Amino acid sequence: MNRRLTDGQFAWLLMVPGLALFLAIIAYPLVSALVTGFFEQSLVRPGRAFVGLANYADLLGGDFWPVLRNTLVFTLGATIAPFVIGYALALALNAGLPGWLRGVFLFPWVIPGVVVSFLWLWIFNANYGVLNGLLGTHVSWLGDPTTAMIAVIVTKTWASFPWMMVMLLAGLQTMPKELHEAASVDGAGAIRRFRSVTVPHMRAIAGIAFLLEFIWNFQHFDTIYVLTGGGPAGATKTFAVAVYDTAFKGFDLGHATALGGLWMLLLLVLMAFYLRKENA
Amino acid sequence: METLNRRAAFRLAGLSALGAALAACAPDAAGGGAPKGDAAARTFGFTSWSLNEEAQKAAVQAIVDAYAAKGGVKIDTASFPYNEYLNQVTLKLRGGQLSGAVQLDISWLAALAAMGRLKDLGAQAAKGGYTDVALSSGRFQGRQLGLPWTTGSIGLVANTEILKKAGVEGMPATVEEFEDALRKVAKLGGGITPYAAATKAAQLKDILPWMRTFGSPLLEGDTITVGDDASVAAVEWYKKLYDAKLIAPDVDRFDARALFAQGKAAFYDDAIITRGVVAAQSPDKSLTGKMAPLARPVLKAGDTPQALLWGHVIVVVEGEGSDAAADFASYATSDTATVAAFFEKVKLPPTTTAGLADPKVAGDTFTTEWTEKITKTATPNPFWRYAGYAQIETAIAEQVQAVLVGQSSAKDALAKAAETAKPLQK
Repeated sequence: MNRRLTDGQFAWLLMVPGLALFLAIIAYPLVSALVTGFFEQSLVRPGRAFVGLANYADLLGGDFWPVLRNTLVFTLGATIAPFVIGYALALALNAGLPGWLRGVFLFPWVIPGVVVSFLWLWIFNANYGVLNGLLGTHVSWLGDPTTAMIAVIVTKTWASFPWMMVMLLAGLQTMPKELHEAASVDGAGAIRRFRSVTVPHMRAIAGIAFLLEFIWNFQHFDTIYVLTGGGPAGATKTFAVAVYDTAFKGFDLGHATALGGLWMLLLLVLMAFYLRKENA
Repeated sequence: METLNRRAAFRLAGLSALGAALAACAPDAAGGGAPKGDAAARTFGFTSWSLNEEAQKAAVQAIVDAYAAKGGVKIDTASFPYNEYLNQVTLKLRGGQLSGAVQLDISWLAALAAMGRLKDLGAQAAKGGYTDVALSSGRFQGRQLGLPWTTGSIGLVANTEILKKAGVEGMPATVEEFEDALRKVAKLGGGITPYAAATKAAQLKDILPWMRTFGSPLLEGDTITVGDDASVAAVEWYKKLYDAKLIAPDVDRFDARALFAQGKAAFYDDAIITRGVVAAQSPDKSLTGKMAPLARPVLKAGDTPQALLWGHVIVVVEGEGSDAAADFASYATSDTATVAAFFEKVKLPPTTTAGLADPKVAGDTFTTEWTEKITKTATPNPFWRYAGYAQIETAIAEQVQAVLVGQSSAKDALAKAAETAKPLQK
C-alpha cells in the first residue's frame, strides 16, 4: 500500500503553513470582529449581550453617513492631488529633468507618517505655527472645519506624491520612444502627443496606481489622527478614526466592529474593482 | 474520478477544520479570567505616564531605582503619553499584558476597576497614614483599589506680570471681572492669548467646572443635567470668549502650557503640577515667581468657586509580582522621605499627613496658596462613577467644539450631548 500523494493533496499540504498563518492573523480577527458587531460589548466590562442588527441600525441612523462623506472627501482629495503632482513630476523627470531631483522628490516618502504629521502639525498650529508666521495671519487651520480637511489632505499629499511619481515614471520609461518620434514626424505637438500617445500607454499603470492609492487612503489613519484626531467637531472623522475612537476611547466594541464591518464591505467593492483592473 | 472525490473530501475536511477552528476562537467576551503568574515574584512592571514627561521623568525614575535597590527587586518600566495612556493601559490589561503597579489619573479608576483585575490594597492603605480625602480618590465601590500618590485640583493659574502690564488690579473674583481682565490683556497685543483655555476636543472637559460655575450640577442622581439653562449659558459665554479671541482656537493642555511658559498667555487651567512644567519649558527662569493660583471666578459674589479634584493613584494588577508591586506602591506614596523628595523635585503634594507636614511641603507658599484657593473647594467630576465616563466627557467635548466652530447652537449641541451620554451611564 505504498500510495503516492496526488498533485491536489500535495498542493494542499504546501498550503498548510500559509493557511495556518491566515487563520491566526486574518481569519480569527476578522470573524471575531464580525461576530462582535452583533453584540453589545464593552472593552472594559465583562460579558456581552446579543443585539442582532441593532448596532448596524444605530450607525446607519446616525454617524455612518457623515463619516462616509468625510472618508470620501479625504480619499478623493488625498488621491487626486498626489496623482496630478506625481504625474507632472514624472513627465518632467522623463523629459530630462536632472536625475538627482528624483532623490530629492522621494524625500517626503521615506519619512515615517507620524513624523510627517507632527511636522505639519507644527506648520499648521494656530498659535505658533510656521504657516501663520509666514502669512502673517491667525488662521486656525486645524481648528476650523472648513480648513481642517484641506490641511489634512495637503499633509497626506506631501507624504504620498513621491510614490505616485515613481510608479508613473516607471510606466513612462517603458514607453517606446519611437511612438513619440513617429507622432512628431506626423506633425503632432506636445499636447497632442501627450493625449494620443502618453495617456493611452499609461492608462493601465495610472489606473492601478490611482486605485491602490485610493484604497490606501480609504483606510488611512495616522495623518488624520495626529493632526486633528477627527475634529474639529467631527469634520475630519473618517472610518479609521471613527472605529478607533469608538473602540478604544469609547470602549464600545459592538458599535466599533459593526462600523468596521460596513467599512470592510465598502473596501471589498474597491478590491473587486482593483482585481478586475489587474486581470484586465 | 477517485482522485477528484478524495480531493473534494480533503477540501471538505479542511473547510470543516477551518470552521471548527473559527468557532473555537470566536471572541470570548469575558475579559476577565484568573490572575496569571506568581504573586510573590520579585520582578514586576511599573507603568507610568510620568516617565514619559520630561518634567517628572527623572524624579519618578529615582523612586523606582531606590525601591529596586532597597527591596532587591527588578522593576520593568513602561510609559505612554498621557492622552493615549488610558487607552493603552486598558488594552494591555484586557489582553493580559499588564502586570505590577500602574499609575492612574483618579478619573480612570472606575474604567480599570470595571475589568475586575485590580488588587485590593486595603492593607497597605490602612498603614500608610493617608488623609481621608486622598484615600477616597483610590476607592471604588467600597474597595481600596488605588493608593493615592498625589491629591490636588485643577484650577486657574495666572501670569501676574502680564496682568500688571494690562492694568488688572487684583485677581478677578467674578465671571464679569474675569472677562474684563481678559479684555484688558487682549489690548496688550503682542500675540498674547488672554486665557489659554482648552478648545481642542481632547481637553474640552475643562468646560465642566465652568458649567458648574454657571449653576449646572451636571448630574442629579442619575439624570444628566448637561443641556439645562445654566450649562447652555456657560457654553454661550465660552463661545463669546472664543469669538472675541479672548480664548484661542486649537489649544489643548500641552499647547496651553507652551503658551504660558513662553509668556504668551495670562491665564490657563492646570493642576498644581503647572509650576514644575512651566519651569521646565520656560526660557524665563523667573516666570514661576510670577505665577499665581486663583480661585475660579464665580457667577455672583458669595458663590463657591468651582474646581476639579485631581490626583494620581497607583493601582496594582493581580498576578505576577503583585505582592512586591503593592509594597512598591506603598513605598512610593507613603514613605515620608520619598514623598517629600518627590515634592521637592516636581511640586506634587503628597497624600499622607506626615508628608504634608514635612517642612519641604508645609513651607512651600505656592502649594499652600493653591490648596487654600483651589483645592479647598474642589470636587470630583460626577461622571467618574461610570466606567464610560471618558466617553461621556468626549460626547460633551465634541458638542462644545461644534458650538465653538459655529456648527451648532449651545442649546442643540448640549441636548445632543446629553442624549449621547445617557446610554453611557453604566
